[in-house]
Amino acid sequence: MAQKKGIGQTKNPRTGKYVKIDRDKGKIISTKKSDGPYKNVPVIRKKKD
Amino acid sequence: MIFYNHDKEVITDFITYEPRSCFIMTQLGSPIPSELTEIRSDLLIELQKRNIRELDANSYIKGRDFLNKIWRQILAVPTGIAVLTKDMKVSTISNIFYEVGVLNALGKETIVIKTKDFKIPSDFIRTEYIEYDTDFSDKINKFFDQVFDLADHYEIMGESLESNPLLAIDYYKRAYLITGDSKYFRKTEEVMKGLKFDLQSKHYIDNFLSTEKRLKMKEKK
Repeated sequence: MAQKKGIGQTKNPRTGKYVKIDRDKGKIISTKKSDGPYKNVPVIRKKKD
Repeated sequence: MIFYNHDKEVITDFITYEPRSCFIMTQLGSPIPSELTEIRSDLLIELQKRNIRELDANSYIKGRDFLNKIWRQILAVPTGIAVLTKDMKVSTISNIFYEVGVLNALGKETIVIKTKDFKIPSDFIRTEYIEYDTDFSDKINKFFDQVFDLADHYEIMGESLESNPLLAIDYYKRAYLITGDSKYFRKTEEVMKGLKFDLQSKHYIDNFLSTEKRLKMKEKK
């Protein structure tokens, strides 16, 4: 069974806004309107090559 | 993903993707304003420093409809740069902003370079622009830095959206077009492993993956 990854966020460098993603469902949930990250949502890092 | 042609039919043949390229939207016909020649020359220097190829509507001569050619070029590139000077005709400016709109709708990066006296139309007030002046090199490089940062962002998005393979592949394709890094082909193949796609989706993915083979053949020639 695939490992559950849950919800995470990452910052779009062009807009400067954080995007919240449901990694299990493969969906973009929302983009934060104000500055700064969503509370209590882990920031996703790039996988190592 | 389904791409449409300007005549509203669906594009069913392959798009020739052009990684690390930039579509320049500006006046191409004579007489070219001297300011425009200066801007394009400075822009070319910055593009060459980053190994980014400059394309415009005159880059390829193909016996097809001119607008069709422009649409396909826009689909092929990661980035578009509009260059506007105050002496340009309204008809030229209209063409340029039409193309900027197409690029934006297709998720491509765009920026407008304008001379001081050129007024941006109100619908484009949110479109990022830079003025051509003594700081031009710094400003355009800041834009390119952002574009390359965006490739990292697209990679993270692709990795995060692998439960939705087609979406993940689209992000990898966009990251590839910006960087030209072949690791995005491997990532795409990894996402595809063991999955069955409908005909249209498979066509879209095959079109992207075929770019690697095409470029290798081009290198050999």
